[in-house]
Amino acid sequence: MNPNALIRFSEASIGYRGSPVLEAVNLEITRGSFVGVLGANGSGKSTLLKTVVGILPVLKGRLESPMGRPRFGYVPQRDTLDALYPLTAFEVALMGTHGRLAPLSFVRKEMRERTLEALAEVRAEGLADRLFAELSGGERQRILIARALAADSDCLVLDEPVAGIDHTTVEVIMDLTSSLHRRGLTTLMVNHHILSLRGRADEVVWISEHRLVCGPADLMLSKEKIEEMLMAGGG
Amino acid sequence: MDLLLEMFSPEFLLRHALYASLTIGLVAPLVGVYLVLRRLVFLGVALPQISAAGIAFAFFLHTLGVHLYPHQEEEQVMALTGSVLFVAVALIALATLERRGRGLVEGRVGAAYAAAAAASILFVAANPYGESTLLSLLRGEVLGISLSQFWATIAVYGGIALCMLVLQKEFTFVSFDREMAMTLGKNVAAWDLGLYLLIGLAIAFGVMTVGPLLIFGFLVIPPLAARQITRGMWPFSIVASAIGGTSALIGFYLSLRWDLPLGPTDVAVACVLLALIVAGQTALGWLKRA
Repeated sequence: MNPNALIRFSEASIGYRGSPVLEAVNLEITRGSFVGVLGANGSGKSTLLKTVVGILPVLKGRLESPMGRPRFGYVPQRDTLDALYPLTAFEVALMGTHGRLAPLSFVRKEMRERTLEALAEVRAEGLADRLFAELSGGERQRILIARALAADSDCLVLDEPVAGIDHTTVEVIMDLTSSLHRRGLTTLMVNHHILSLRGRADEVVWISEHRLVCGPADLMLSKEKIEEMLMAGGG
Repeated sequence: MDLLLEMFSPEFLLRHALYASLTIGLVAPLVGVYLVLRRLVFLGVALPQISAAGIAFAFFLHTLGVHLYPHQEEEQVMALTGSVLFVAVALIALATLERRGRGLVEGRVGAAYAAAAAASILFVAANPYGESTLLSLLRGEVLGISLSQFWATIAVYGGIALCMLVLQKEFTFVSFDREMAMTLGKNVAAWDLGLYLLIGLAIAFGVMTVGPLLIFGFLVIPPLAARQITRGMWPFSIVASAIGGTSALIGFYLSLRWDLPLGPTDVAVACVLLALIVAGQTALGWLKRA
C-alpha cells in the first residue's frame, strides 16, 4: 500500500443515479503527483473526477483519503459555466474562498488579498475587473485555476482545461499547471491532448471499456502504448 | 410636479398603495435576478398564475363552507394561505422533478401554467358570491390596500430584501457553479430550497398585493434591463432594484395623472426603460465601431 496515497479507490463502482459507468476501480493518487486521465468521449473521465472531488458518491466499493480529506481545487469544463452571469473575473476567482465562509458572514479582507495573489500566480491580475463571460477561452481557464488556488487547495482537479483552445494557449495553460505542480500541488487532469501530457505528467490513467489502465507516464505515453490504447477504443 | 409632491405628502390618500408598490418594485427584482440568471423566466410566469389559482381555490373552499380559519373572517389571510400553499407545493414538485432529471423543464412549467390559469378561471366561475372581491384580488388592486396588508407587505418584503442581500454570495455561488460549491462543502440542495422559498414567498405575497401581471413584470424586466449595463453581482442587483423602484414610482404617477390601471402602467414603464437601455447600448456599440 502506498503510504503517500492522497486518494485511494478500492474495488469501486462509480456512476450516476445507481448506474455504474466504471466498475472495479482500483486507483491511488499519490500526494504531489501529476496524474493525466485519458479516454474516449463518454468513457467516464469526468465521472471519475467528479467522484474524486465528492460531487458524485461511490456506488460500490470504497473511496478513502488516508491523509484526511484533501481540499480540492476543482476546475470544471468552462463551457458548463453560463455566460449570462454578469460576474467579473475577480468575483469568479473569489468564489474559491467561499469554502472558508460560514453562512451570513462577509468576505474578509484576507480573502480578497488571497484572491488577488491567486490571480497574480496565474498572471491574470489585469483581468480582474473584466466580465468573466467576455474573456477568451484561455483567459477564462486561468481565472478558474486562480479560483482553485484561492481555495488553498491540496489537490488541483482539472476537467479538460485545454479543450477548444488554440495550440499556443494550450502550452501556456499546461506550463502554468506544470509550474503549480512543481510547487507541490497534487494535480489530476482530464485531457484530450495526449501529447501535451508528455514531460509533465508522472502517471497516466487510460480509461477504456469501463476499465482503468494505469502506469507511469513514460510508458503510458509511448508511441506503442498510445497506438494500443487508441486501437482498443481508449481515445 | 404638484402631483409628484402631493404623492409624497403625509396626507396623501393613497400613500400606503404608493409605498407598497415602491417596496415591491424595489424588492421583486432582487429575487428576479436569479430567475433570469438560472434561465427560469418561464417559472416567473407560471408561479404568479399558480399563486392566483391558490387564492381562487381558498375562496372556492370558503364557498363550499370549508373554512381555512374557522374564526377568521379576514379574506386576505385566507387568500394568502391559498397562495402560499399552492406556490410551495408547485415549487417543491417542480424542484423534485428537476432533481430527478425527468422530462422537459419548459414542458413542466408550461403545463403548470396552463393548469393554473384554467383552475383560476374555473374556481372563480364556481364562486357565485365573492366573484368581484376575488377578481379584484387576482388583479391585485393595490390602491385599495388595507393598513394591515400594507404593514405585512413591508415586513415580508423587507425580510426578503434582507435575505437576498445578506445571502447573495451563497445564492450566486450555487447558481453559477453548483459543482464547485459542492466540492467546497456547500449544501447545494439546502441553498436551492432557501432561494426557492424566498421566490415563492415574494410571488405569493406580491400577487395578492399587486396581481400576477405586475409581479411577473417586476421579477423579470428590471433584471433584464440591468443585465445590459452592469458588471458584477452587486451592481446588477442594485441597478435591477433601482429600475424596479423607478418603474413603480413613474407608473404610479402616470396612473394617477391619467387615470390608468396601475399594474399595466408599471409594466409598460419598465418595458420602456428596458427598450431605452437596449437602444442606448446598441447606439453606443455603433459609435464605438464607427
